[in-house]
Amino acid sequence: MSEECISLQHISKKFNENIVLKDVDAILHQGEILGFLGPSGAGKTTTIKILTGQLKPTDGEAFVLGMNCQNIDETIYEQIGIVTDASGVYERMSVYDNLKYFAKILSVPLENIDILLKRVGLYEHKNKLASQLSKGQTQRLILTRAILHTPKVLFLDEPTSGLDPTTALEIHKLLKELRAEGMAIFLTTHNMEEATKLCDHVALLNEGVIVEYGTPQDICLRYNKEKKYRILKSDKEEIVLIHTEENIKKLNQWLIDDEVISIHSCEPTLESVFLEVTGRELQ
Amino acid sequence: MKRIHFNKLLAIIEVKGKALFSKNFIIMPIFSLGITYIMKLAYGAISKDVDMTGYFLSLGILMNVCMTGVYCVAACLAEEKEKNTLRTLMTSSVNGLEFFLGSLIPVILLMMVINVLCVLISGFSMNGIEWLCYMMITTISSTIGAIIGMIFGIFAKNQMSAGTMTTPLLMLLMLIPMFSHINQVIETISNYLFTGVIMNFIEHVTMKVSLINPLELTVLLIELVLSVLAFLVLYKKNGFEAD
Repeated sequence: MSEECISLQHISKKFNENIVLKDVDAILHQGEILGFLGPSGAGKTTTIKILTGQLKPTDGEAFVLGMNCQNIDETIYEQIGIVTDASGVYERMSVYDNLKYFAKILSVPLENIDILLKRVGLYEHKNKLASQLSKGQTQRLILTRAILHTPKVLFLDEPTSGLDPTTALEIHKLLKELRAEGMAIFLTTHNMEEATKLCDHVALLNEGVIVEYGTPQDICLRYNKEKKYRILKSDKEEIVLIHTEENIKKLNQWLIDDEVISIHSCEPTLESVFLEVTGRELQ
Repeated sequence: MKRIHFNKLLAIIEVKGKALFSKNFIIMPIFSLGITYIMKLAYGAISKDVDMTGYFLSLGILMNVCMTGVYCVAACLAEEKEKNTLRTLMTSSVNGLEFFLGSLIPVILLMMVINVLCVLISGFSMNGIEWLCYMMITTISSTIGAIIGMIFGIFAKNQMSAGTMTTPLLMLLMLIPMFSHINQVIETISNYLFTGVIMNFIEHVTMKVSLINPLELTVLLIELVLSVLAFLVLYKKNGFEAD
């Protein structure tokens, strides 16, 4: 079994009387991506804040790399990287100087900066002021800074929120590479497609409670009670067939008659599971 | 007690030092030099028989200690919060003490340079021992100003609020010593302000009387200790972000 990087044990968090997290349990191992999936206000960012020592839980215990998050000190930040919507860049400094600053703080050789900039596709912008970067480029700069010191655990709070699909895809590719290199990634998102594509395990979070936990595939299969097929016929008619003996015969006949353009199985998605479990939309 | 890592401290000093030379902040020390020079030009021509160099110097130093010390430090910290870089720094293994020292050292060094330049621009003459006392008093005052700026920075959400919050205090710190000769009450208050101590010191040098009055030195040291204690209490309660 690979090293346990994050452990949440019965974590609850209250702000006054408002319960934000309730009895949350989760584990993240080295070389895995764990996704916390839920709509705005579900408690995703609060979980990251507790894990990174920025908030104390009301109940329960959280551990990052074996250190209790309640007693966290700055040394833990040499082993973790954090990207949240509260991550900023020094706008009056160039891309390179932003990274140089943190490289000096984290004792990272300056040669690594160019290597990373090439890897994230920002090398040609290295002398640009951070204020002149697009939103996608800024997000890549923030991500680069978070992985500059090759952390063991990376926390990402909605890393692709508001980004164009191309930049989002580039970030997904980078995250998969980092996972393959052994980094443990804790990701929060409300994008079910992103979670399905990237995460080894997901926790569906609703109003501070984990309503489902497992691999995206397992969760979807758990709710796949009725097999269905979506068929596009040659007359452009789209039909959804439930898996019954009679329907299979019908489909067989259409295939013989060459009336079918495409067939897709209709498994539940994380979004439909979330809707079924909570009655709420993710987005 | 937090440990200081010199690589981190030097990196913060370098970046904070560069930030001070940005157009948002450099205007304050330049303004201090400018006011000294303008006063010299304006009054120099009309008061040939009276030595007013001490007055020109006092105005420049007051501006410097208040505007560069209090305002720039408060606004610099507020900017870090406004741009979300403070949170990023604090979650990148920088501790509070490193950030505190890294933020104050470049400002205090810059203020020391400006304090010397103000003397040269004003034409105020001092002998060796007077220079030594001058540097000691202005450096302690600059440090108090910078720590007060840091305290305001804890509560300021952005640069605009830093300006709004510090302005009333800046007015008091500057105007009370400037008008201390109007009546006894203002003079007494001024004697207990670090900015008033600077004005008194320059007056002592001009009038060739005892350089440092024990009461004034005590006022400076007590205000230095009080500002550090106030900062520590507020930092312990709020961190660098009271919101």
